[in-house]
Amino acid sequence: MSDNKNLSSIERIKTASDALRGTLRESLQDELTGAIREDDQALIKFHGMYQQDDRDRREERASKKLDRLYSFMIRLRLPGGFLTPSQWVAMHEVAGDNSTGVIKITTRQTIQLHGIIKSNIKPTIHAFSEAKLNSIATCGDINRNVTCSTHPNESPIHAQVFAYAQDISDMLMPKTKAYYEIWLDEEKIVDKKDEEDPLYQDRYMPRKFKIGIAIPPNNDVDVFTNDLGLVAIIEKNKLKGFNIAVGGGLSTTHGNPDTYARLGSVLGYVEAGEKTMKAVYEVLTVQRDFGNRSDRKLARVKYTIDRMGVDGFREELEKRIGFKLQAAKPFSFTSRADRYGWEQNDKGLWHYTLYVENGRVLDEEKLLMKTALLKVAETGKTTFRFTTNQNLIISDIKEEDKAAIQQLLEEYRLIQHTEKATATRRNAMACVSFPTCPLALAEAQRYLPDLLTKIEGSLAKHKLQDENIIIRMTGCPNGCARSYAAEIGFVGTGPGRYNLHLGGDHQGLRLNKLYRENLDETAILTELDGLFASFKKDRQKKEAFGDFALRKQLV
Amino acid sequence: MLAEPKLKTLLDLISHSTKDELIWMNGYLSGLLTQAGVTQEAPVPGVPVATKPSVAKITIVYGTETGNSKRVATDFASKAKKIGITPKLVSLDQYRLTDLPREEYFLAVISTQGDGEPPAAAKKFYDHIHLNGFKFDKLKYSVLALGDTSYPLFCKAGEDVDAQLQKLGGKRIAPLQKCDTEFDEDANQWFASVLQSLSGNENAGAAQVTVAPKKSSGKKTYTGTILTNVNLNDRGSDKETHHMEISAEGLEYLPGDSIGIVPENDPAVVDAILLLTGTNKMAKIDYRGGLNYITELLHKKLGIFHLPERVVKQYSAIVQQEIPATRIDLLDLLKIYPVTDSNQFEDVVEILEPITPRLYSIASSPEAHGGEIHLTVARDRFCVNDEIKYGICSDYLSGLPENTTFEFYVHKNNQFRLPAPDKDIILIGPGTGVAPFRSFLAERDATGAAGRNWLFFGDQHFASDFLYQTEMQNWVETGVLTRMNVAFSRDQAKKIYVQHRMSQHGADLYHWLESGAHLYICGAKDPMSSDVEQTLLGIFETFGNKSKEAALQFLDQLKEEGRYSKDVY
Ligand code: SRM
Ligand SMILES: Cc1cc2nc3c(=O)[nH]c(=O)nc-3n(C[C@H](O)[C@H](O)[C@H](O)COP(=O)(O)OP(=O)(O)OC[C@H]3O[C@@H](n4cnc5c(N)ncnc54)[C@H](O)[C@@H]3O)c2cc1C
Ligand SMILES: Cc1cc2nc3c(=O)[nH]c(=O)nc-3n(C[C@H](O)[C@H](O)[C@H](O)COP(=O)(O)O)c2cc1C
Ligand code: SF4
Repeated sequence: MSDNKNLSSIERIKTASDALRGTLRESLQDELTGAIREDDQALIKFHGMYQQDDRDRREERASKKLDRLYSFMIRLRLPGGFLTPSQWVAMHEVAGDNSTGVIKITTRQTIQLHGIIKSNIKPTIHAFSEAKLNSIATCGDINRNVTCSTHPNESPIHAQVFAYAQDISDMLMPKTKAYYEIWLDEEKIVDKKDEEDPLYQDRYMPRKFKIGIAIPPNNDVDVFTNDLGLVAIIEKNKLKGFNIAVGGGLSTTHGNPDTYARLGSVLGYVEAGEKTMKAVYEVLTVQRDFGNRSDRKLARVKYTIDRMGVDGFREELEKRIGFKLQAAKPFSFTSRADRYGWEQNDKGLWHYTLYVENGRVLDEEKLLMKTALLKVAETGKTTFRFTTNQNLIISDIKEEDKAAIQQLLEEYRLIQHTEKATATRRNAMACVSFPTCPLALAEAQRYLPDLLTKIEGSLAKHKLQDENIIIRMTGCPNGCARSYAAEIGFVGTGPGRYNLHLGGDHQGLRLNKLYRENLDETAILTELDGLFASFKKDRQKKEAFGDFALRKQLV
Repeated sequence: MLAEPKLKTLLDLISHSTKDELIWMNGYLSGLLTQAGVTQEAPVPGVPVATKPSVAKITIVYGTETGNSKRVATDFASKAKKIGITPKLVSLDQYRLTDLPREEYFLAVISTQGDGEPPAAAKKFYDHIHLNGFKFDKLKYSVLALGDTSYPLFCKAGEDVDAQLQKLGGKRIAPLQKCDTEFDEDANQWFASVLQSLSGNENAGAAQVTVAPKKSSGKKTYTGTILTNVNLNDRGSDKETHHMEISAEGLEYLPGDSIGIVPENDPAVVDAILLLTGTNKMAKIDYRGGLNYITELLHKKLGIFHLPERVVKQYSAIVQQEIPATRIDLLDLLKIYPVTDSNQFEDVVEILEPITPRLYSIASSPEAHGGEIHLTVARDRFCVNDEIKYGICSDYLSGLPENTTFEFYVHKNNQFRLPAPDKDIILIGPGTGVAPFRSFLAERDATGAAGRNWLFFGDQHFASDFLYQTEMQNWVETGVLTRMNVAFSRDQAKKIYVQHRMSQHGADLYHWLESGAHLYICGAKDPMSSDVEQTLLGIFETFGNKSKEAALQFLDQLKEEGRYSKDVY
């Protein structure tokens, strides 16, 4: 078992929290500050929220003798990233009333709202609840939103695989009723037994835990970057089972050599159904019992499995599930890209994949995307799906309704917007970073679009503008936009400065490597311009930029 | 210069007089002289002889806002005792009006507030005597009026009371004495003359009024240098409230005091006026007995904005045009109802009134911020037929950059003072009303006062309008603030104000007061201070289970014990 001698402070907070209640109620009542008490800041994550403050405004407000401009970010639990039209409408309204108004599609196919002030948290959660939505356990040391290849066209049995996202998510929910008590004013449960939690007990996981399900040949979910990745094995249009991979995780810490990005190791194959569920469940119990609870920087499964050894981990797992894993089945990934534009699946339903820059749905003078999507939702003739590339699919449209939707999309120029999005942008992602992210070291979503324009200039110069090069930027080494799994990865190190990573692939089977450190914009552009030049000159036909970088041993 | 007989009379008058009598005579004569016109009717005062006064009892009432009238009245009461007269000393808000007809010797010390109004505490009395309805048969009285010559209606309230008491059949035992801000000497002379007439010399009061010999400047003025000037409201706020830190030489003030400023008029408007009336910028004109540069007058001395109706009325008389009774800026007046020529304009200047001083509560503490004065100035924005305008003084002040200087004086408020260090205090100060309480809290923090402190604050929005938020949070941390409750009116559909928070915590609030706490209110007079007072009465009824009457009595009791103080505007 893991060394539990000097537990990290978060461990103490969790066990002392009376099933995640802490003093959240008292914190909410404090009139003098928009913040909540320190311990509660750790606990509120388990309820799907983060305390943040507008970092752009800190200095000026301090001079005005005003406290930081605190607000809360709330993240929904949407296994597989699916919303009904009425849920979208509800979302839209909540966003308007209580948050910055921006609907943010995340890299784990869910939605975040920012800027919710303390007194608006409860109203927000009430509104969500009425739309049958919640934010339980979307943050914190617990199983996070389960991702799943998004496009219904990935497979005739997409729906069947997709259902696993929901089932797994349900199976791994915490038992505490704290969420309902604190935010939805449901009266206190009398019998503590109802809250007993065999999986999480009173200590929960040592760290966040992430699960993703991929449907080959598309690896849009970056399945191997998850703590637990499931690769659907489909034979003759039947879901047979899953290869399970353990130990994925991207985050590193500048200057901490013990931290590293890692892709999951495939432990083997399990049949669909019962056995898959059991295996998933016990992977969590192994991590729960063996994960490092003293150093949070080394607490993810990726470190646990490297400590135990892949075989060691498999043994422990098999002991717990009571059967042996079969040898992994062959599978192949070809891409991680979204299928932009219209597509019809075998059931005759239409789906439109919309390009959403950095996942930010809002109304701008040039493009009223938010209004447009509201109109679309109000027709009630579509569903909404979010991709792990921060895009949106207007899905499940019947043949007879397509024209109407098409008409709306054209009226609001969403089609033109998607079609004129360049290859580079369609393959690019940036994390949230400033102004809300407290961990941000450099800009990301506010900066990448401009940088891309400049990069495109250089690409065009070398006649490479139509190349699908996967470019991802994160404002710090946590890698929220999976910058370590990009062909060109930018990792923020400080204001205006980034580490440049090269060599990722298109399938998500290979991480990139550090190429240059601490570059400012000019340095970035000169570096890239040189690289593009030699890529143009020496590439083998159809060779992707990431593969080229590797072959050339640039990294 | 005196002819033999007169000189002789004077000399042996002097030789027979006590020092006090001489002082009085001196002041009395100079009073008569400055009151040209009055002197005619005034008979030469009879020769006073120092004898034991024939009067046994006198009533001394005072109407005060900031404590000056109370101070002098109390001082007279003790003087009276010394020479064997039994004084009955009462504040006018405590005075039983039904006693009035029975009064024999009645001395009133009353200040003037607002725009020539009586102090809030004297309002009931003032209205009562103006209702006429009754007559005095034996009332003998005199009035001492406290005021400030820098206000247009100098000592108006005192004048009114003096005139009205006579109208009702009262007999003056000494002429009305009007005092400027340095009032001690004049007050004493007045009292001396009162005692004179009490000691049997009736006709001393025949004269109607004496005025303090005009002093060049009654007040000690300071030159302040702006150290800091920040707008405390965050972006997106409807408010603009400036925290100003000001240094000045030889500052003397106490928590609870305010500073007074006479704002200057916008030179651009002055030029426009001169241009419109064809008046020469360099012209010197006569204003109320003094020659001044017209530009100087309009720029620094005379009110030209939002003229009072009384001035507009006089204006219409001068230009002989019908003008509806209203308040209006001089420039607009001149545009709509032009003067014939610059001579007629000179007559107009003559009716203009001095710029009234604006007061700002001091938000700093001598103990905590030695040598500095802090202010909390709300830049007053208002709309006149959909044109945005700004209040003269608050606009001028909030616009002062760092290192610039301006003139001010300290306006004492002895009715608004911290109690003994061990006493609990409840502070109700929404908006800029928080200013003096920042001073109170800083003072108590610096002196380590043991009493508990409970502050109620309110404004529009939590995020942008929480004045001094971080300082308050620190005071809560360090325990200086025992409790703090806030109300932000516009953060939710239903408006919430400080009084709502007060009722929410009514039980505790009542308990604090019951166990000796002092309660202070500062900020907007209407509707805030009246709503708060109503709420308090409600709290007394609910949590002290008192009848309406009992609740009112409890409030009066608090006032009497000096545990209920307001500084509202
Ligand atoms: C919204 C999102 C980025 C986006 O633009 O979409 C995001 C945003 C944040 N991430 Fe993340 N992470 C997001 C996906 C990821 C991913 C990518 C993934 O999971 O596919 C990673 C890398 C994979 C991994 O977990 O290793 C990731 C690794 C982190 C880490 C590093 C964890 C670690 O092992 O050290 C942190 C910091 C932490 O947890 O201490 C973090 C923390 C954060 C926080 C909550 C900052 C904080 O802890 O206060 C960021 C909130 C910013 C904001 O204002 O919204 N985020 N975060 C993604 C939300 C996913 C979701 O819906 O749940
Ligand atoms: C004891 C005391 C303490 C005070 N403490 C503070 C304090 O701490 N902080 C603070 O900010 N204030 C304080 N005040 C209020 C302050 O003294 C001033 O009254 C306030 O700043 C407005 O003055 P001003 O010259 O800016 O506005 P003014 O020019 O005097 O205008 C005041 C009002 O008159 C009306 N008005 C003026 N001109 C026109 C026009 N042309 N047409 C129509 N209407 C017009 C408007 O309603 C306007 O709001 C205090 C007042 C008192 C009596
Ligand atoms: C807001 C305010 C308005 C005033 N208005 C007048 C006025 O119109 N006429 C006047 O003669 N004095 C005026 N004064 C000056 C006071 O009468 C003077 O300060 C007096 O000493 C106060 O006495 P008190 O402390 O007994 O109230 C005003 C003072 C204040 C604070
Ligand atoms: S990568 Fe870093 S900066 Fe970007 S959202 Fe995640 S934690 Fe914030």
